Amino acid sequence: MKIYNYKKSHALFKKAAEIIPCGIYGHYSPSPLVPATAYPFYTAKAKGSRIWDVDGNEFIDYMCAYGPMVTGYGNPKIEAAAAKQNKLGNCTTAVPPIMVELAEYMTDLIPCADWAFFAKNGGDVTNYAVMVARAATGRDKILMISGGYHGVSPWMQTAGHHGVMDDDKKNVIAIKWNDIAQFEKTVSENKGKIACFISSPYHHPVFCDNEYPADGYWQSIEKICRREGIVIITDDIRAGFRLDMRGSNEFFGYKSDLICYCKALANGYPISALVGSKDLMNAASKVFYTGSYWFSAVPMAAALANLKEMKRTNAPAFMLKQGEKLLNSMVKIASNYGYDLKVSGAPSMPYLRITNDPSLMLHQEWCAECTKRGAYFTSHHNWFISTAHDDKDIKKTWDIVDDAFKAIKKKFGDEFQL
Amino acid sequence: MNFNLIKANLNLYAVIKNLEDLTVHDKEMKELISNWNLSIQFIVRNGPRAFVEFATGKCNVGQGRMKNPSIILYFFSPLHLNKMFDGTANPIPLKGITKIGFLTKEFPKLTDRLAYYLKPDDDLLKNENYLKINTIMLMNTAAFAIPEIAGYDKTGKIIASHMPEGIIEMKILPDFHSVNITFSHDRITSQKGKADKPSAVMAMKNVKIANAFLNGKTDAFTAIATGDVVIKGVIPMLDATSLLLDRIPEYIS
Repeated sequence: MKIYNYKKSHALFKKAAEIIPCGIYGHYSPSPLVPATAYPFYTAKAKGSRIWDVDGNEFIDYMCAYGPMVTGYGNPKIEAAAAKQNKLGNCTTAVPPIMVELAEYMTDLIPCADWAFFAKNGGDVTNYAVMVARAATGRDKILMISGGYHGVSPWMQTAGHHGVMDDDKKNVIAIKWNDIAQFEKTVSENKGKIACFISSPYHHPVFCDNEYPADGYWQSIEKICRREGIVIITDDIRAGFRLDMRGSNEFFGYKSDLICYCKALANGYPISALVGSKDLMNAASKVFYTGSYWFSAVPMAAALANLKEMKRTNAPAFMLKQGEKLLNSMVKIASNYGYDLKVSGAPSMPYLRITNDPSLMLHQEWCAECTKRGAYFTSHHNWFISTAHDDKDIKKTWDIVDDAFKAIKKKFGDEFQL
Repeated sequence: MNFNLIKANLNLYAVIKNLEDLTVHDKEMKELISNWNLSIQFIVRNGPRAFVEFATGKCNVGQGRMKNPSIILYFFSPLHLNKMFDGTANPIPLKGITKIGFLTKEFPKLTDRLAYYLKPDDDLLKNENYLKINTIMLMNTAAFAIPEIAGYDKTGKIIASHMPEGIIEMKILPDFHSVNITFSHDRITSQKGKADKPSAVMAMKNVKIANAFLNGKTDAFTAIATGDVVIKGVIPMLDATSLLLDRIPEYIS
């Protein structure tokens, strides 16, 4: 099997590092890719489930741009809708009518949604959701899950990171996932002070196994929040429309007051949305919140077309099924070589880890070997499946997985055998 | 924990520790201590305690009290100790009055040389031997400062509270120098040398790269992307360590 090299990618990075902080910053930074030199840094083109880097290497993309690609790169239906709107106008002085159409579609689609508000990035709407909750309750404290990710505003980041001041975190209380007793205790200790509980529908941190809610978890949380007047904010940025078109909260059987969407909303076009219950619409109206490009029509047209296409094809069910098919055989291939490949989280956005080596080094080696053979796997973050990942992709991935395990076994022998 | 106490801890536990490598890698200093056979105990009221031993041509620096030191140097406060490190105060000798000559003439030769290696400039770093010694000292200081920052600095404590348990190994290739830091929930300890089973590894390609990296002249993210610095294992441990290291200049430059 051909092993890729990334000469052009890395040469371009060196140039970038002279003029862009970190060369590539944020979640696209190569630093958590281990080793970074095993990964491409620049995409030259993309189509369907595939990307091609600047060195001409072709990859089956299991990161899907960290989530936004959901119905395939360059999906003709979505591209046609975007192109049609672009001809009519994109960023214009008065608001485009498609905004109302999209809001109407989302409020019909999502049972908890009586209204919709649009922005650009996930962090725009998680921050707005907290402001709405504070406006509605008059309280200042934010309850969140330790290790949960809600964006990059200072209150969302871990204390001690550069640019984050102690005061930025003073109203944030982090508790453990799936710990109802701690939740109850924290609420009791901060009675009448907590505006909201913000959480992803299931726990999907980086570098560790993802966790579904325990039986009855969300139902207990909902009961406590209703009793205490705490607004439930579901951060469905990552899982949204990969579990259930009606919202991941419906998948797990609870009602959310506010739900944040972004990644899978428009198949790569920049748009995010906060949807909410009627009770909070007045508070949402009072919070002044806006951005230069938040009224752009093209992403709205793409979102509408994408949601319709996903609903028509029951995309979440397909992605969950394809994910299961892919992963079940990968686990078997791993076991053939004496490795325990653990899968956690939703099959449509799984987190994988080879348990033989708790330091993750073996897993990092294997992900790098797969990537160098054409299956783009990260070792630190959950992957993403799209509706473009067909059976041909899956079969090719199994071949790559097998060859990569062979290479790992050759390198380490029996060192990590359980 | 106030500023001066943390700074005093860093001075006694991280900076002075470099005397060990200074007397190994600098020929003149190795020669200087070759016949020394004595020990110095540092005692800081409401502050850290450390000792420096010279015997059989070797220097050993440790934390806490040692039995029967030749000299005891007392400081009224952490600030008093820090002033001595800045050259604006003198210690109170409680024991070893007869060795005043050593303290005023011989020992300063060693500490002046230490200061020389810890205050690099671009010209000095062009000297290969200086570069090597400065790099070793930077790495040692970083390793031995981490427990103090993680244990006592307000922000450092928050960062450390999110740190998974395990061992970090930092090394300079090819097999030039290494340190390891063990994080457990009740204790953080540093050692020179490799770790048996590290949870996370940060490997710097060579001395020059390591020096620029440890002196804060290169961006970590860029260095990792180019492969000049390779990281692997439990990366959140390295992220947190990097944040702890970034706190050191708040106290010592």
